[in-house]
Amino acid sequence: MPIATEAHQALTTFDKTTSRWGRITMIAGLVFSLSAPAYLVFFSGLDIQISGILGAFAALAAVFGVIWIVEPLTYYPILGASSMYQAFMIGNISNKLLPSAMIAQSTIGAKPGTRKGELASVAAICGAATVHLASLFIFVGLLGTWLVSIIPADIVQTVQVYILPTVMGAVLVQAIVSQKAPRSAVIAVAVALVVNFVLLPLIPGLAMFATALAVISTAVLAWFLRDRKAIDTTGDDAANAVNRRDADDETTDTVSGPTY
Amino acid sequence: MNLPTALPAAADNNSTDILAVANSPVLWACAIGVFLVIIVQSVIYMKAAKVAAPSIGMTQAEIKTSFRAGAISALGPSLAVVMVAVALLTVFGTPAVLVRIGLIGSVSYETAAAAIAANTAGAELGGPTYTQAVFGLALAAMSLGGAMWMIATLILTPLLKKGDSALRKVNPAIMLVVPGAAMVGAFSVLGIAELPKSWIHVVAFVSSAVIMTVLMLIAKRVGKPWIKEWALGIAIILGLAITYVATRL
Repeated sequence: MPIATEAHQALTTFDKTTSRWGRITMIAGLVFSLSAPAYLVFFSGLDIQISGILGAFAALAAVFGVIWIVEPLTYYPILGASSMYQAFMIGNISNKLLPSAMIAQSTIGAKPGTRKGELASVAAICGAATVHLASLFIFVGLLGTWLVSIIPADIVQTVQVYILPTVMGAVLVQAIVSQKAPRSAVIAVAVALVVNFVLLPLIPGLAMFATALAVISTAVLAWFLRDRKAIDTTGDDAANAVNRRDADDETTDTVSGPTY
Repeated sequence: MNLPTALPAAADNNSTDILAVANSPVLWACAIGVFLVIIVQSVIYMKAAKVAAPSIGMTQAEIKTSFRAGAISALGPSLAVVMVAVALLTVFGTPAVLVRIGLIGSVSYETAAAAIAANTAGAELGGPTYTQAVFGLALAAMSLGGAMWMIATLILTPLLKKGDSALRKVNPAIMLVVPGAAMVGAFSVLGIAELPKSWIHVVAFVSSAVIMTVLMLIAKRVGKPWIKEWALGIAIILGLAITYVATRL
């Protein structure tokens, strides 16, 4: 019995330390990441209106609002409380952190969902963070900045002007493949075509809301036109549903979604 | 090295010299701040894991092995992120790319967020309307959007830990259908909106989509997961190269 109590105490200390410092460091990260735009808005002399920012934020919320809430809910059962504060600051969860944690667990023979598995994944995410910070600093911070300073101006211009269609072409294909929901994909592309080639030419004033309108229409249509046989609405609870989806993703498609 | 330019002389609402603002020392300081915060967090977590390990019969060697396994398996994905990040350096500048694309966010959400923000100002990402002021707005929107993920994590994690049943009663089918549809919806409307702009925009979109599709098919055929890892970076760089050739025709 005394051993069990000791173990219990040590784990309680671990939980307390990681949730307290996890929260403190995440809030610090939040402050630093918001300081950069705050500086540009308030001190740089650029004319950036608060109302403009609120408008942009509203447009963003209409598009990604659901995902802001669903992603933490999705990853919680897999990551556990302590790693949540690591994962959502370090980023690249599905394509880097989850594989790292799984490989570490299998290397030392710890099962996911156990305390040993949890400690293994915390250590693995620390290892992944170390490698990631080092490679970002060296290859993007130093070499990348230097590379940009020597590439010819016309290439820089091409990249700036055509980066959006280039990124979206690849990202759209990646999203469609990783979602494995062909019905939603067809609906999304159809809605996008209608909005861009029918609605906008007729009502140009909609331009500001076009993205949000298309996303909300896609979500609503995808819900009402869903494959009711394949998607079980009587399922037990959300966490389980999400677990099922992730288990499926991991077997076939570990490095997939353009997700955090 | 491209030394960061001093800001006061460089800030100009209508200038399209984004990098003069985007590589300013203050933005660099903020980016380094995020790096330091993650280092501090990792040190605290490693210490906590080492202290807790013996009580559940886990050796220090096993903790070390886990750290090493995590580090090694992150190498490929990290370099794949580096490739994508470098492609975006001229659009957002180094500090913003490091924080938004390298760390907290991801290339798909951040590029989409920047494009949505620019659209609300009647401008476009890249090109003649992408001025310093529009970059500032885009960075503000990207940062606020990223902050929402962190705030959701800060609020939801303690609730989920307590096993809040209300959160778990969300209809699971909605959780399966709606977020995925919203994501594919966002990327398709933003991508397709680029097509009417010029034939070169079509070349850019189609070439990177086709390269991505081919890479995904190859990855499936030969069963090599590293191809999927690198696919986004390869598709973006090759897509830009093809687009560059198209602009010269």
